[in-house]
Amino acid sequence: MDENTRTQIGGPQDPREGLEAVMALRRMLEALEAAQVENAFVAGWSWAQIAEVLGVSKQAVHKKHAKRIRDKYPGEPPRRKGA
Amino acid sequence: MFNRFTDKSRRSVQAAFEEARMLGHDSVGDEDLLLGILRADEGAAAEALSSLGVTLEGAREESEEMLSDALSSIGISLEEIRREAGDAFEMRIPPGRRLPLSPRAKKVLVGARKEMRRLGDNYLGTEHVLLGILGNEDGTAVRILAGMGVSPETLEDRLYQLRGRAAG
Repeated sequence: MDENTRTQIGGPQDPREGLEAVMALRRMLEALEAAQVENAFVAGWSWAQIAEVLGVSKQAVHKKHAKRIRDKYPGEPPRRKGA
Repeated sequence: MFNRFTDKSRRSVQAAFEEARMLGHDSVGDEDLLLGILRADEGAAAEALSSLGVTLEGAREESEEMLSDALSSIGISLEEIRREAGDAFEMRIPPGRRLPLSPRAKKVLVGARKEMRRLGDNYLGTEHVLLGILGNEDGTAVRILAGMGVSPETLEDRLYQLRGRAAG
């Protein structure tokens, strides 16, 4: 790739760099979602509460995260938020 | 797809899946095939890489830096996100999710088979996989190697030197 085509601040982005940023962001987003859902679970939030803030169904959150988090925190039932 | 693979090259591909999962790659890329060779650490390819100072840790760091740079280019700091999310933040992909081979990684494996035929070999060893990786000039693996100061030509030369004695 030609060095001259690289991004300048505020300028148009080299397509390859732009696409790579999207891929990096997607990977990071997955990790961030997993971490924040876990944080909420540990803080005592229910799956329904987590799902509501994420704007998705409870089933979707449960399917994506429950097994991983339950495996990580065995025998630790979720406390009610504010309990 | 893994017909004629040796035990060593098979294990390096297996290790590539483990590396990809650990690093949060949602598909196994050409860079993961390189990391897999380093992780399995056996065969002519691993020997060539290690003789040029390419280590698993170094290559992982380079890969992570590319991710971090890509995010910086759109004004996002991976470090800050890590700090904000706390200990729960990890890139690792959970065991339940299956990872596919990326189109580039498939291209590498097709290239490896071509290298095997070109060299008149009847087995597909780690050296063929590495040659396949190097043949993908636009690939991430080649850029990781360049970041570590190793050119495809240097690495190819070293592989051919080693081929005579350490096949597989």
